[in-house]
Amino acid sequence: MTDEEEMVGYKQQPGKIPFSRPGSGGKDQFSALQDDEMIPEGQGGKLSQPWGKHRHDELVTSTSIGNRTPLIDGCYKVTGQAKYGDDIRLSNELIGKILRSPHHFARIKSIDTSAAEALDGVIAIATGADASNTFGVLPVTKDEHALAVSLVRHVGDLVAAVAAEDEATALQALQLIEVEYEILDSIHDMKDGLEDSENPIHDRGKYHIGEANIQKRVFQEFGEVEKMIDNAEASHHSNWIFGGVNHGFTEPHATVANWDPRGRLTVYTPQQVPHYLHRSLADVLEIPMHQINVYRTFVGGGFGGKSDPFPHEMCAAILARKSGRPVRITFDREEVFLTNRGRHPSHIEMNLHADSQGRLCGVETDALIDGGAFASFGHVTTYYNGVLHTAPYEIGAFHYTGARVWTNKPASGAMRGHGAVNSRCAFEVGLDDLSDKLQVDPMTFRLANLLPPLSATITGFRITSTGMRECLEKVRKASNWDDRFRKLPLGHGIGVGCGFFISGSGLPIHWDPNKFPHATVHLKIDMDGGVTIHTGAADIGQGSDTVVAQSVAEVLGLPLDMIRVRSQETDTAPVDLGSYSSRVTFMNANAAISASMKIRQELLDATADITGADPAKLVIGDRRIYDKRDPAVGVSYLEALHKAQEERGALVASGAYRTPPMGRAHKGAAAGLAPAYSFSAYVAEVKVDVETGQTSVINVWAAHDCGKALNPLAVEGQIIGSCHMGLGQVLSEEMVYGRTGHLLNGNLLDYKIPTVHEMPKVFPIIVESNDPEGPFGAKEAGEGPLLPILPAVCNAVYDAIGVRVDELPITPDRMHRNIEKLCRAQGISDSLELETPTLKLSPLQELLANRAEEHEKRDIARRNNDDIEPYHNGALFGFTATLPADEQSEDWKVSVIPSQEYIDNPRLAGSAWKHIERRHRGDDA
Amino acid sequence: MKMPPFELLMPTSLEQALELADGFVAAGEEFDWIAGGTDLIPNYKWHLNPKANVISLAKVAEMSELSSTHIGGMVRLHDLSESEITHPLLKDAAGSIASVMIRRSGTVGGNICLDTRCYWFNQSEDWRESIEWCHKCECGTDADCRVIANQNTLCVATYQADLAPALLCLNATIHLASSKGKREMLLSNFFELDGMTRNVLQPGELVTHITLPPESSELIGCYHKLTLRESWDFPEAGIAAAWKLNGKEISALKVASTGLESIPRVHDEEVAAVLPDWSGKESIEILSEALRKSIKPVNNTGLKPNYRRKMVKVLARRCLNQIMHK
Repeated sequence: MTDEEEMVGYKQQPGKIPFSRPGSGGKDQFSALQDDEMIPEGQGGKLSQPWGKHRHDELVTSTSIGNRTPLIDGCYKVTGQAKYGDDIRLSNELIGKILRSPHHFARIKSIDTSAAEALDGVIAIATGADASNTFGVLPVTKDEHALAVSLVRHVGDLVAAVAAEDEATALQALQLIEVEYEILDSIHDMKDGLEDSENPIHDRGKYHIGEANIQKRVFQEFGEVEKMIDNAEASHHSNWIFGGVNHGFTEPHATVANWDPRGRLTVYTPQQVPHYLHRSLADVLEIPMHQINVYRTFVGGGFGGKSDPFPHEMCAAILARKSGRPVRITFDREEVFLTNRGRHPSHIEMNLHADSQGRLCGVETDALIDGGAFASFGHVTTYYNGVLHTAPYEIGAFHYTGARVWTNKPASGAMRGHGAVNSRCAFEVGLDDLSDKLQVDPMTFRLANLLPPLSATITGFRITSTGMRECLEKVRKASNWDDRFRKLPLGHGIGVGCGFFISGSGLPIHWDPNKFPHATVHLKIDMDGGVTIHTGAADIGQGSDTVVAQSVAEVLGLPLDMIRVRSQETDTAPVDLGSYSSRVTFMNANAAISASMKIRQELLDATADITGADPAKLVIGDRRIYDKRDPAVGVSYLEALHKAQEERGALVASGAYRTPPMGRAHKGAAAGLAPAYSFSAYVAEVKVDVETGQTSVINVWAAHDCGKALNPLAVEGQIIGSCHMGLGQVLSEEMVYGRTGHLLNGNLLDYKIPTVHEMPKVFPIIVESNDPEGPFGAKEAGEGPLLPILPAVCNAVYDAIGVRVDELPITPDRMHRNIEKLCRAQGISDSLELETPTLKLSPLQELLANRAEEHEKRDIARRNNDDIEPYHNGALFGFTATLPADEQSEDWKVSVIPSQEYIDNPRLAGSAWKHIERRHRGDDA
Repeated sequence: MKMPPFELLMPTSLEQALELADGFVAAGEEFDWIAGGTDLIPNYKWHLNPKANVISLAKVAEMSELSSTHIGGMVRLHDLSESEITHPLLKDAAGSIASVMIRRSGTVGGNICLDTRCYWFNQSEDWRESIEWCHKCECGTDADCRVIANQNTLCVATYQADLAPALLCLNATIHLASSKGKREMLLSNFFELDGMTRNVLQPGELVTHITLPPESSELIGCYHKLTLRESWDFPEAGIAAAWKLNGKEISALKVASTGLESIPRVHDEEVAAVLPDWSGKESIEILSEALRKSIKPVNNTGLKPNYRRKMVKVLARRCLNQIMHK
């Protein structure tokens, strides 16, 4: 197979596309940039836009956007009226319980349910025979069943389900189900998954990779790979081990299924992706989608852990169909851990190289990730572990090998910061080490290597706005960095870390974006003047209902209490892909703005009709539409509305958002592609007890570039919440598997989520880079803020005691071992006498500081200038910025297939390429 | 998680409670006492040795007496830690237990009688079934210990209560009662080295109260423990120390440990070896090292046993240094 054959890639745009200024949004008439004149003076005159103009500027009415707004559904939660999954009580309900596998890996020889069926109060029992169709969140890897068909793949895998009159009876019935198993050899160490196996956990048919348990493998090589080691002035090498972590959301999974008398199914469930569940239910139950209504209840936290269609949701529907009564299934915490979909346990090798001018001339990453028993989002995770650390820095070469293997554990999946967190941590710690070796300040090192706004990364991602530089500068100042870094006493330190994350995935999972939009919003306004928003975006506590309401309120100049959001039912909501990959604010608010603009135009036309004013000069204020040159000429909102409704009744409008064409054409180019990216920089201050190895984080200065804070209150909440979640992964959280392969800590006492005592003081700093593509300039704020906290803490630990962390979480026993090792290396017996790292600046520091200063000017010029030239990664290394480097040099590699030379001597995850896919093997097994 | 059903009995006096217990013992029926319930109820939810009958002590008023030398078994941990008349060492230890919510419910008697804990035991029924049970909750299978393989004579589950080491350092006496009568003993004689039997309590017997010798008020003490988080977590190691200071003369030094083995222990031998030639910092170092050597935790909690053992030395050093400067 040649490179060319693999270059099928992104079907949206075969071949390369020229780099264009974003914000075009296709053929939309409202997308053209407007002049400052259009900003209503009555609303505060010309908008202060230090980051340049925005296509939504003319829509600003200063009523809602940017206000600190309590979430509109918050009052339901604090008064106890919010209905979560388990709060749905339908009359005549049955309780569903699930029989789970006691074995890691086994073949089911027989299931005898007769004794359970005979039990008084048992109404229905389901087994794998009741639903043999597979499903999965990604169409390419549908490998799950509602209930095990033939194989159980981990302890806790679903075997049978019972619906009974009450919980006690259901539990008793489970005990009466006789299952005969043939136990198979199980795999627990992810490294074993790379080897051929007699019974691979799944069989992918002709697509199976050898006979191994490799679910997905990725190879990517970009840039001057051959030269990076020769050019290196300093290199960093590390081998990381990351424990698996669970989302730890408050609400356990709970679902209620009911078939109504017309034969339609309603599934009530706290879901992040109702639409994918909708599709999966149709597949598994073999009924058309129009017969199913997915009702998203309030979601008691998701964080990615409720973004798969789940087997228990299928089970509830199957049991409800069999029994003819509503069935409710609620998990206990152990079942949540057995369902998992948390962050992948990973082995990551990270090698970084910097050249004599302090440029990042090479990044080599090898990531082996433990997928557990099912694919879930793993296909994407395998890519994300590599491609999501190709920015915000300009790099000379990028070499990535990644592999995801199946093991007999609960499946890993998507979790806040999906796929980016672990490798970002390794990467940013590597940068800290490089700056140590080059004897430069790590802040300056980063500032001198940033990609500018409106640029393309080494793998072809389109960076629109970036506030990376401002984030770094703000935390540097706020933390008093220059006076404290490498100057604090033993056990006390500060460290910096950065982040980069997608703001929505460029490619919808289930369809071609050229055919359907990513998000659609419907508006309806009747005579009462209130606006009903129909959207399928799932509010999982992140505030998506609020942000869509704010967007509509802003365009129409209405107070929030005139807006009502109907987002819970697929029966009424237009299709939305759901709440994952930080896409909701970006895509859904863009769709809402687009729908609102249509209503707005109708209101302006009606006002012009009544007043005879020039529609081009009309503006909207608070419930009033008037001539901006003469505010006395105008009508109230209701007058205009009723005029517009005269001939046709209620106003309705539909708006949609789709991503513009983007990216390169190599295989896997779409992974990590997003219409915009968020950036963040944190400084963490830690104290380490050198005698016990206990680490506590005291302060975190957290700057995040979210483009524009539509709701600063929610953005700050996301930053602080992300800090807490990331802190758990650094300090204490880990799913621990014992020597028998069982999860030892599947409960919230032994799975250590930080408490309020462990929480540092977080100083959220919002940076607004005014993204040209984002709604009113906004980008994501839900996931990206998690990334920097891990490396910031690890780097602060190094500053405090000189230990380079390479295993998370840094539990005190691990840290103590590291301290002992360091003591031995320094030849001392008392850890209180440890020498901490010092900073002696080399001449390179000045060069970097000057370059950072020049780049700052470059960046400001780029973001404020309409006629800018393209900027491709590589310019820092002497290539012409306007062309991709691979078009300028033969040495600049773009390859997604490993050479034989590499396969002969691969890294850990790279060894996945030693196997030949069955279809290429010739035997077509 | 659903608890198995049980009958809850609510006697209103100690006499009535002991009578009820006697009834079960005579009939050969098993039962549990419940005080604050913060240990028993979670264990029942996990189906850990649940009984069909539970006698609540909530309405037994005479067990709630609290003075500087008398601590009723039903005194809430929160009340103990907040009371002005509580010995400062006890205040420290009680105030560090779990969380405010648990302290408001949990009792002194319940804390002393806390069930031992183990990664292979404190798990759901399905989980334990899938490892084929363990010695401590064998469900009739004669299962071996899962921590130390191939033996089922000794349970090595860990005792993780905080009050015991503090009380041991203060030379507390524990008072027990059953329908057969009352008895008392030094707290150090109350515990029995086994994670299952745990202590000398006989069927039908309970802890009515603790007394402290009057001279305990002259003791200066300190308690340090190792937990991953500041709140909620059971101690993975805990050291208490107390002594009497007469000018520069040190006497009555006691050191006790918890969270490391199946029972809390007083370390008189190690203390006796250094006390005669007490020289401050150096002696502290020698004693701390001796304590580390004498304690042998097993691998059945969150942190690794060799680390917990090393921490014994650090905690002891910190305790002793702290009381030296009090």
